[in-house]
Amino acid sequence: MRVSARWRPRLLLGLVALATLLLVRSGAGWAQGEEQGGAGNRHLLIGHVYDGKGQPVAGVDVTARTAGESELLAEAETQDDGRFALSFGPDVASLAALQIQLQRPHFQDTSVRLPSETLAALQSGDATVMADVELVPRITPAFWLAAAIFVLMLILIAVGSIHNTLAALVGAALIFAVSYLGPLVTEDLFIFDFARALRYVDWNVIFLIMGMMIVIAVVERTGIFQWAAFMAYKLSRGKGWLLMIILMIIAGVASAFLDNVTTMLLMTPITIQIALSLNLNPLALLMPEVMASNVVGISTLIGTPTNILIGSFAGISFSDFVVNLTPGVVIAMVGLVLYNQVVYGEELQSSAAKGALSPMLLERLEKRGEIKQPGHLRKAGVVGAAMLVLFVLGENFHLVPAVTALMGATALLMWIRPDIEEMIEAVDWTTLVFFIALFIAVGAVREVGLISLLATGIGRLVGENLLLATMVVAWLSAILSTIVANIPFTAAMLPVIASLTATIPGAESKVLFYALSVGAAMGGNGSLIGASANMVTAGIAERAGSPITYGYFLKRGFPALIVTVALASIWLYIRFL
Amino acid sequence: MATESERVEQILCAVRGGPESRATVTYAIDLALETGARLTFFHALDAEFLGYATIGPLSVIYQELQEMGEFTMLILVDRAQRRGVEDVDYVVSEGNVREQLRQVAIRTEAEVMVMGRPTRSPGSNVFQLREIEAFAAELAEEGGLKLRLVPLEV
Repeated sequence: MRVSARWRPRLLLGLVALATLLLVRSGAGWAQGEEQGGAGNRHLLIGHVYDGKGQPVAGVDVTARTAGESELLAEAETQDDGRFALSFGPDVASLAALQIQLQRPHFQDTSVRLPSETLAALQSGDATVMADVELVPRITPAFWLAAAIFVLMLILIAVGSIHNTLAALVGAALIFAVSYLGPLVTEDLFIFDFARALRYVDWNVIFLIMGMMIVIAVVERTGIFQWAAFMAYKLSRGKGWLLMIILMIIAGVASAFLDNVTTMLLMTPITIQIALSLNLNPLALLMPEVMASNVVGISTLIGTPTNILIGSFAGISFSDFVVNLTPGVVIAMVGLVLYNQVVYGEELQSSAAKGALSPMLLERLEKRGEIKQPGHLRKAGVVGAAMLVLFVLGENFHLVPAVTALMGATALLMWIRPDIEEMIEAVDWTTLVFFIALFIAVGAVREVGLISLLATGIGRLVGENLLLATMVVAWLSAILSTIVANIPFTAAMLPVIASLTATIPGAESKVLFYALSVGAAMGGNGSLIGASANMVTAGIAERAGSPITYGYFLKRGFPALIVTVALASIWLYIRFL
Repeated sequence: MATESERVEQILCAVRGGPESRATVTYAIDLALETGARLTFFHALDAEFLGYATIGPLSVIYQELQEMGEFTMLILVDRAQRRGVEDVDYVVSEGNVREQLRQVAIRTEAEVMVMGRPTRSPGSNVFQLREIEAFAAELAEEGGLKLRLVPLEV
């Protein structure tokens, strides 16, 4: 179906408004869920199912039958927290025994006979809590297939031979093909069904990213990035080292509130122009800029996609990130500035005096530094400030960040009434599809128990030593992020970190999640392919005759990774350990 | 540098414009001064590298790349003028690099085209050496264009 141009603006606004309403309702529902659902005259048996790591197991079919008979008395399914509630009628009072059976793919079938005292309590009419039940994982052929598909997806993303979104879709499609066609051969090939797969999709992440994309699309057209870079040029008065520091700060701050790729897409061309104007090697400005962008992005919830994933999964709020990571980021940034002064100081010093720009070129550069849409910038600033307030205060009244982003995007669209066709284009739908397919692929390896197995392995390695666990998570994430795309890596690691957090004493501070945030983002500096922002910067620089090769980036980026991750690790130690 | 025994009225210098183009640009300026020919710098816009990246609207990005390309060429024009080349301009065009270069060569009626010699790994150059030689042979056959390939450092 094709929607006419006349209706498209209303359609987009309507969709955004509807999504906002749905998310508000779901947020409210989240808050009220605990209080709803009365027992009435029924007898309730409440239980909790967990795996060997003490993690709740969702989606377990729980049935109650009379002992030795096949008569079904009650049935339920465990929720995300592993809890279930079986509801019995008055005839439960006449039972002599009760058998509880638990079934779930990828776990051994389990049967529990209800102890007589628990049965008596149930029969008395009270809501009764039975002992927790542990399910034992079962490795099936589906386990190996899901793992193989996930690794294949990671390889396709890393190699870059096909689009990331297509790679993730290939992964999700193969998972479904195995799940639906495999059982025709053997039941052990079942991974999960479509409904179960959708439960792994984090819609909070999807809508938060979509809302921020709309806001960014408005901001990037205003010329604020070019203006800021030109101001850096003017403020530095030809001093290369000062210019580098100011540009690093601009790129860093912009990356904390917008996404790194957009920041570098818009900063790189003007930076190259400024560098050429001053007879500086453009790479002496671009490399520090992109490194700062990768480091400072993690100071807020919305600064990096990995933080959005972590924040949503672990319930870490906007202000939590600011309080717990920003000081560490500032320390790492100071280290990064000093490091870049050592690496590029000579190039920046020696060229500083050569910048004699002709009036024609200076005029052109000044024109580039003008704000193109001051009215839109002012409005975006007002809406952005309001969004920041809601990001910080929203947690007090169950306002999830996705709702704030959607409300902000809607308000901005209503206020400035931009060309809605361009706004539709500005939403990077391929990225949103990438996240949905990725959540499904990661969900598959969680479903079959691979993530749990990985958590067990790491758990054995670190034992109950929180310091060791924090360092392993931060450094392992950083090193792996240089070769594996950090978004799927983070998505896969989240349940592992949750498992470690549940078992290591003291980890309830969520320090391991912060360590993952540090490693996954700062690891991007370790290699050219470590972050999308690096690739985009290198692409533009190459087209301006200043190529950044893989070796060049590795030589200068990897030591920066060590410096920044070490400093951020010290902060995590001071703050949490 | 090489001298032109034949009469040259138009030189086309196809460069990206960064530090690695310095030697190529110097060669083209010297040649223009020696022959008194008009010098045109050519820069191709190419955003294919954005293909697999997460990006915003392409129109904004193309505008940025266009600005960057024009500014880079203006620096070269400024440099040539400071060296004394009187007749110098630039062309920035978007699309397939090979096709754009062919069209500009035909439009300007260039007799000599100056480019940097491909030296680095595959993927970092628009052309590999063999390709560029074949391309130059095609242009020579079509319009008598001569190619000058300049090493990174001369």
